[in-house]
Amino acid sequence: MDFEKIETEVKIHVQKWVGEAQLLIQRKPPAQLYVAVAVVVFTMLLLILIKLFKRKTSNTIVLTGLSGSGKTILFYQLRDGSSHLGTVTSMEPNEGTFVLHSETTKKGKIKPVHIVDVPGHSRLRAKLDEFLPQAAGVVFVVDAVEFLPNCRAASEYLYEVLTAASVVKRKIPLLILCNKVDKVTAHTKDFIRKQLEKEIDKLRTSRTAVSEADVTDEYTLGTPGEAFAFSQCHNKVVIGEASGLTGEISQLEDFIRNLVKP
Amino acid sequence: MLEQLLIFTRGGLILWTCRELGNALRGSPIETLIRSCLLEERSGSASYSYDAPGAAYTLKWSFHNELGLVFVAVYQRILHLLYVDDLLEMVKDEFSKIYEPTRMVYNDFDDTFQQLKKEAEDLAEKMKKSKQPVKAINANLGKKQGLGQKGGVDGGNQKKSGDDGNGDKDGNKTKSYVYENGHTNGEHVSNGEVTVASGVNGKENRSSNTGAFDKDKLQKMRGGKGGKKTNTAAVSKAPKEELKKKPRVWNDSPPVSKLDFTDPVSENGTDNVPVVAMEHGESMMDREEIISSDSDSDEEEELGKNAKIETKKKGWFSTMFNSIAGKASLDKTDLEPALKALKDRLMTKNVAEEIAEKLCESVAASLEGKKLASFTRISSTVQAAMEEALVRILTPRRSIDIMRDVHAAKDQGKPYVVVFVGVNGVGKSTNLAKVAYWLLQHKVSVMMAACDTFRSGAVEQLRTHARRLQIPIFEKGYEKDPAIVAKEAVQEATRNGSDVVLVDTAGRMQDNEPLMRALSKLIYVNSPDLILFVGEALVGNDAVDQLSKFNQKLADLSPSPNPRLIDGILLTKFDTIDDKVGAALSMVYISGSPVMFVGCGQSYTDLKKLNVKSIVKTLLK
Repeated sequence: MDFEKIETEVKIHVQKWVGEAQLLIQRKPPAQLYVAVAVVVFTMLLLILIKLFKRKTSNTIVLTGLSGSGKTILFYQLRDGSSHLGTVTSMEPNEGTFVLHSETTKKGKIKPVHIVDVPGHSRLRAKLDEFLPQAAGVVFVVDAVEFLPNCRAASEYLYEVLTAASVVKRKIPLLILCNKVDKVTAHTKDFIRKQLEKEIDKLRTSRTAVSEADVTDEYTLGTPGEAFAFSQCHNKVVIGEASGLTGEISQLEDFIRNLVKP
Repeated sequence: MLEQLLIFTRGGLILWTCRELGNALRGSPIETLIRSCLLEERSGSASYSYDAPGAAYTLKWSFHNELGLVFVAVYQRILHLLYVDDLLEMVKDEFSKIYEPTRMVYNDFDDTFQQLKKEAEDLAEKMKKSKQPVKAINANLGKKQGLGQKGGVDGGNQKKSGDDGNGDKDGNKTKSYVYENGHTNGEHVSNGEVTVASGVNGKENRSSNTGAFDKDKLQKMRGGKGGKKTNTAAVSKAPKEELKKKPRVWNDSPPVSKLDFTDPVSENGTDNVPVVAMEHGESMMDREEIISSDSDSDEEEELGKNAKIETKKKGWFSTMFNSIAGKASLDKTDLEPALKALKDRLMTKNVAEEIAEKLCESVAASLEGKKLASFTRISSTVQAAMEEALVRILTPRRSIDIMRDVHAAKDQGKPYVVVFVGVNGVGKSTNLAKVAYWLLQHKVSVMMAACDTFRSGAVEQLRTHARRLQIPIFEKGYEKDPAIVAKEAVQEATRNGSDVVLVDTAGRMQDNEPLMRALSKLIYVNSPDLILFVGEALVGNDAVDQLSKFNQKLADLSPSPNPRLIDGILLTKFDTIDDKVGAALSMVYISGSPVMFVGCGQSYTDLKKLNVKSIVKTLLK
């Protein structure tokens, strides 16, 4: 049969090659061989180590929210402890890997945190998708003073973040940070939480959220049939308060430190 | 006098602001500049006008793309300061010398700034006194070139390559400077003359003459003419009411005696007509589009071919060398061939010429001075920048969730009114039926209003759709005033509890004054919740004209002080264009309103959402 002939031919060829390789190996001095083997083993170990590293949790925190809620100020407070001369609408994300400013005085080796401040302008929404997959936690900043006029826009954005594929799959914890609480007319965080829950409840009914995570299932936020509450989310959602201008960001820092162990 | 000069990073942190000019700016001109100009990809224009109650400012800006800095100067509009461009360039050079990414405070820059300001003012004075003969150059007046060119200055003329011949028209606007030998800026060679274009007024005039505008400018124009406008509107309204509406005569044909062919008998005989089943399946609006992520490798090859053809003049060796080593910094002449290729490609995809031009300028402004990373071609950098810009433009600025708005209106107890406007034959009635079908699938009760009282058969057409979809229709036949019909339709809807009223209007050309006036009257009388401009995807350069004239007429002819403009775009006949999807880009760029629906066929389910990523991919293929 043809198959058998080809088989035997292949076998002969392979045997010839193996013989030649053995001759080659025997000819080379043993030192070289050992070195070559060592290099190969070493690189393999290195690759395995790198893979292991990747599996470790990332140290990225994403700051997001509507335009004008104070993300860039919070970023610089975290980094430098002051808001410098002020900010304007960001056109590009601000990224940085650093030790939080309040912890620079602490002794000992502290792991730096990678913080990303994504612009809130609606035209630049696409940037958020670049950073969400590597995020260990998301901070959604809400302007507590100008909350009611922007309530709908804020809740729509929050809804998008909560139903984003990466957030759903990896159950990324979320902190809803009510900013600008140093102002007298700022709303309380309970009020903001209730309003957001109400709005998201309405959004749930008017949108068929087919999450990109699972095309077969329809992903409905929270439990259907009940009024929406943040406690129903699969990922942890907490609410906090902060003031970017005065520098009161302790709740924010606690959240970050809980996620990125020093 | 200069009101304010600001230096900030692209990430939003203010690095330096002139402390002496301490007057607080009224309103928020910088924020508005960023939102309405720089993020809208209009950074190629020369200046931006901002109006706040009590102040009128002009803003000029300059980018330092390598370091990611933006320099903005604000001054009163009535003072035509000539030295602002040069001042910005000088400030840019000086500041980039002392800039470090880690440093946040730059107080020592104050003195440098004072010095530079004095120099610039002296220069302007000198220029005014001595009218130097202007060396004619082809000035691309939108660019912030000028003094920032490092190494490109060596006596003689510096010819700026540009493809608009504004230099000839506005010859009196170009100026030439002679630099003194003792100039502190070491890069400028002291011998010879450096002719520099100051793109002060030329581009401004040009941009205001063409249709390009932004809504703020319109509002500003509106506000300025407020007082006079009401008088003329009142006057024009009075005689109109006396004249009875005459039937329209198109040629010299004798006027038709009776246009109202509605047969009073047939309205009762509707139940004889068989009702077609409503179930046509799921509307494509609710289906998520699966984008095929095919490899970009063939795109790169094609692009490589184009780029190579363009740069053959330079010689392949230098391009190879440049792409491997990475050039020091990009300047205009390098970007130009890539940009021109990109512009031509956009135009073959049916983007209006003007829009393609503006986009390329904006991308150029954002890439100038940037350092090329090694092993990247210029064309790929330009392509990436253009892709980002396109995604930015096509991403809607506000939410386009109509269902949410409908529910909000329902909670308030009033119907949600949508008006469909557009020129003749774009598909308003067909797409109105599609939108009605989609809304019905989401359990919303819809009512149609037949306010196209001119075209024969329009009312019957809508009546057939209403019968097939089994929804109520409000009609008054032909030869009636559409504004009154719409008003009564909305009242009827509130009475019978419909959630949405879809108003169909007659098609009209954008420069037909009486028809546009009638349209603005309809809008003013009914104050609809959503004004949808229906445009076909087959339109070419006329899209720019249509949209800008529609918006302008709606603003000018409306008797109210805050006129309603177009809120959204419905793009029709999308299935007829294979990949020439440029009309979407032109329309969105010129009007700033998002594309809410895309009509892609002639049956009820052929309505879908705009997929930004796939459009950008198709445009740049």
